[in-house]
Amino acid sequence: MAFSANLEMVDSEARITLDGELDAAVAEQFRQAIEQAAQQKPQKLVLFMNTLSFMASAGLRVLVFAKQRMGSEVAVYVIGATGPVLNTLQMSGFHQAVYIQENYP
Amino acid sequence: MVRQSIPANLSALSDIRRLVHQACQKVGLGEAATYRLTLAVDEIATNIITHGYEEQGLTGDIVVSIERTDQNLIVTLEDTGVAYDPRTRGMPTAEDLDKPLEDREIGGLGIFLALQDVDHFNYQRYDNVNHNIFEMNLV
Repeated sequence: MAFSANLEMVDSEARITLDGELDAAVAEQFRQAIEQAAQQKPQKLVLFMNTLSFMASAGLRVLVFAKQRMGSEVAVYVIGATGPVLNTLQMSGFHQAVYIQENYP
Repeated sequence: MVRQSIPANLSALSDIRRLVHQACQKVGLGEAATYRLTLAVDEIATNIITHGYEEQGLTGDIVVSIERTDQNLIVTLEDTGVAYDPRTRGMPTAEDLDKPLEDREIGGLGIFLALQDVDHFNYQRYDNVNHNIFEMNLV
């Protein structure tokens, strides 16, 4: 399944919708969306994962990049992650570093 | 028994995942176990392509073999890249996994996820070929 990462700025929030399968082949698209978002200096990063069906560690590495690029003061929200994707976040300890919610706001 | 040779480049990862997923469906492996096996194979295949071939200036294939025994579904990835046993990589500690994201090293999680996700993992190298072997219990 193809992957897409669509960025939308809403006030001071960077909202990125991730769709499809996020593997090492397409992670650069996600990283570029993060880079574009970082240039807007958002106060909050909101990642919608409702239709993200697969996430490899390449996706986790982009989350690390996002935190390092934007700074610890920018809160990261993960919205609607499906069971297996959520499990990957939990196994990796990322659930302690981001706000995980079913819905937003 | 499935045996298919796939060019070792990142764009082929989705083809490898599809092969594994189809085999899991065929043997009736549950959804969660199917995802875990697929993720594990994807992570090791990514390592083979990136570190085993590309970073060495090598090109080659990954041969994906899938077989069912009475008790297991076994996926084997064979490659002719540089020798590498994923089990020799140090796993992140609980302290590492507790670190804030901004203090984490980028990398190291792929093999951790792969080895955690399957019921049994083995690595062998013979005849200059790496064999990464993943097993999921069916009973």
